Amino acid sequence: MGDAGRMAALALAVWGAAVTPALAQDSERNRYYVQQMIELAASHDEQGVIAMQRMLEQEPRPTATDPAAAAAALQRGQAAFRQEDLNAALSAFQQASRSDPGNPDAVNYQGLIYRKLGRLTDSERALQLALALDPDRAVAWFQLAQVYGLEKDDRRALGSLANTYRYAQNPMRAEEILRNIAENETADSLRNAAVAALRLYRLPVEPAIVPPLPSNPGIVPMDAPSEPARAPRPAPTP
Amino acid sequence: MKILREILLAMLLAGVMPAAVAGQYETIDYFVQQMIAQAIAGDDTGVQTFREQLENLSRPEAGDAAQARLPQQQGQDQFAHNRFKEALAAFRQAFIANPADPDIAAQLGSTYLRLGRLKEAERLSVYGLSLMPAHSAIWLTLGQVYGQSGDAQRAAGAFANAYRFAQDRAQLSERLRQLSGPDNAAGVRDGASQALQAMPSAARPAADSSPSPSPARSAAPTGASFTAAAAAPPSAPATGAPLLDSLKRGLAALGQPPTATTPAPHVDGAANGDNPGQRIYRRSIPLTCLIVTLRNGKADNLGSGLLVSTDGLILTNDHVVDRADNLTVRCGDREATASVRRRSKSPDLALLATSLKSPDSFVLNASYSQNLIGLDVFVIGNPYGLEGTFSTGVISGLREIDGVRYIQISAPISPGNSGGPVILRDGSVIGIATMRLKDGQNLNFAIAAADIVASGLFDPARMKSRSTQ
Repeated sequence: MGDAGRMAALALAVWGAAVTPALAQDSERNRYYVQQMIELAASHDEQGVIAMQRMLEQEPRPTATDPAAAAAALQRGQAAFRQEDLNAALSAFQQASRSDPGNPDAVNYQGLIYRKLGRLTDSERALQLALALDPDRAVAWFQLAQVYGLEKDDRRALGSLANTYRYAQNPMRAEEILRNIAENETADSLRNAAVAALRLYRLPVEPAIVPPLPSNPGIVPMDAPSEPARAPRPAPTP
Repeated sequence: MKILREILLAMLLAGVMPAAVAGQYETIDYFVQQMIAQAIAGDDTGVQTFREQLENLSRPEAGDAAQARLPQQQGQDQFAHNRFKEALAAFRQAFIANPADPDIAAQLGSTYLRLGRLKEAERLSVYGLSLMPAHSAIWLTLGQVYGQSGDAQRAAGAFANAYRFAQDRAQLSERLRQLSGPDNAAGVRDGASQALQAMPSAARPAADSSPSPSPARSAAPTGASFTAAAAAPPSAPATGAPLLDSLKRGLAALGQPPTATTPAPHVDGAANGDNPGQRIYRRSIPLTCLIVTLRNGKADNLGSGLLVSTDGLILTNDHVVDRADNLTVRCGDREATASVRRRSKSPDLALLATSLKSPDSFVLNASYSQNLIGLDVFVIGNPYGLEGTFSTGVISGLREIDGVRYIQISAPISPGNSGGPVILRDGSVIGIATMRLKDGQNLNFAIAAADIVASGLFDPARMKSRSTQ
């Protein structure tokens, strides 16, 4: 990272320190760090991201009150999830979290289920918690990107996808996943974020050609008989 | 202050850590490039050394082979039918399910190559070699990638490794001889020729008889389909005829069956030179057709088409023929009636069957990438009945309209050009002239050949396609 980038990260961190209430809940502080990781990733500030990751890793981990019960609940949740019984799975994963609040798998699953249930705010919160517990969990970054995509938050979708690639165990696989989204995803926000993430890492991508042509009444087939085969398009709005 | 200190400490730690993301690929690529360099130098020990380095890298976690099997099979089916977009989707799915399978990586890389996406093809091939450094097919793909990128030397090294690791060296030699033929990009030709020349003499006899690249051959169009046409006497309307005569003749075609003969073009000595436009024109004109539609017993419309098979299949726009009761066509100096074999509203295409057998046909170029922009294009058609009108321009952009991919061109086209070929310098057809922007300045659109190849109208058993960009 160049001096300018380092200063920017430092400034962000200082700004964050200043605005983070001294008595803030851990979850708020963690959320702040996760958000910083997203913003720094979107700016392609690798060392800034790593700095924030280190901050998260230094946070104290909650201890399990009943590890055995947590493991059993996690298994129940996974079984219910495989059978697509989302409510039962959610309940089991919540129980797992109560027994072991430091278990990232339990909250990660909750985030996934909340997203499937359309509860995006809850999903975002759960995934951020999962990332606070395990900041290099690529799958959680990917799910968070999808949440932001659904919320049409391009910038944070980009940062989350960039971190998906950064932390992927197999970067080539992640690259291909990003290309697949960039070329085929119908949701504009996520698709554009994938294109931007690939470009951030200077990876090849062939986005869905170009933005569709603006509506133009002038495009008509040649040789069209008196009635054009393609209906004229409406005139562009001013 | 405590938080600030912690952040500074974390940043300090971060500063001494290597970037984690890009390192894997670059390490692999380094060893692959070393294997190529050693192969170029003919250093077997060096190749072996770097192969071992690759084999010593940590392997990616195994994926779900069972989940990958079906999409892989689907990809193979689509690939065999030249449906590369569909093959890409399937192989991608298979790769995501099981990124540790070198064959899937090879197939995905090869599909990217066929789609003209050379960077992706290179990355997948390099990655595939990290899974199996002695995968001959991947080396062959990589050689073509470098060759198409214009790097004949690296292509030669990759081809040499393809040969080195081939289980069936005779078959690989034959493949390299094909790649050294005139149908291929210059870098591929030269790379394959160099690799063949570097082979042990036992493998070389046939290679010696293969055409070696020469300036003259390099300058010639690469389309095999044009070989016969170039030797045949060109036949086309008189380009030097007064416009009015030509217009009258074109308009007359609307009112009566086409005449049996068409005047031969005036070809002066310059046409035998290296002017690419003249070469393209002379070689393409016999394969470009005038289409006249009849409705209620009267001529109704005219357009253009192109011969895409040696047994008389003609491709045109659906909107040229959509109201016709009967069709007549004239390709070069031959005429025939035609019937609609297949048609599609989106993309706007129709495939006509005729009795016009030909030793030659156009090759569709399925490339569709930003690399095309700026390339010269040549358009032949029958605007307003002016048969065989030839125009030139460049590819101005790529556009997707209503889910159909178009090549935007600056070559002038007018009503009557519809369905005619848009041709690259190598003689392949990159699109079919279809639309124009009314009141625009040379803002014209051709359906991308990539979409034609991907459409249900394309018959890989009878039509030819390739991807070179």
